[in-house]
Amino acid sequence: MASHLVALLLFSALVAVVFALLQRQGRRERIRFGLMAFGAFVLSALVVGWLMFPFPS
Amino acid sequence: MADSRIVPDARRGSVLPACILAWLLPGAGHLYLRRTGKGLAFLVAILTLFALGVAWQARLAPYMGLDDPLSFARSLAQMAMGLPYFIARSLGFEAGLVTAPTHEYGNTFTEVGGLLNILVILDAYDTALGRKD
Repeated sequence: MASHLVALLLFSALVAVVFALLQRQGRRERIRFGLMAFGAFVLSALVVGWLMFPFPS
Repeated sequence: MADSRIVPDARRGSVLPACILAWLLPGAGHLYLRRTGKGLAFLVAILTLFALGVAWQARLAPYMGLDDPLSFARSLAQMAMGLPYFIARSLGFEAGLVTAPTHEYGNTFTEVGGLLNILVILDAYDTALGRKD
């Protein structure tokens, strides 16, 4: 079974690839946008997860 | 919004087959339009999302009722995957396993795969019209 983090990283990477191909033209622009999207997914998930930490499950 | 410039080597009269192929198999519309790299990347990325979702016990059984609009919407999103969705259902992966820890991840992965495929179909449409490279 995958951990939450592995699921997050896989989801972010795969969706970032599709977004980059759809939203940008040119290899360099796509790589840049894909990395930005991947980072934004991972970072926002970690921040939201951290903010929810004090709440009871 | 799509780029308005004209791409000269787009296939003429290919809008409908490109869109149908794009729905049937993610990336197939782009492969038909000779955008091989893009098509293969869509195929691998979206099929991987869907396959992971199925492996993680997603529920694929359709919900066709407006009394639960969210379930209806998620069923439509999964159907946007095209053939892989129907093949997975015919192979017996329909029910999923609600008690599995990965069940909700599976649902999310299969639904997002379908939603991304809708964007890919629209991209194939623009490409077939010559509005996008």
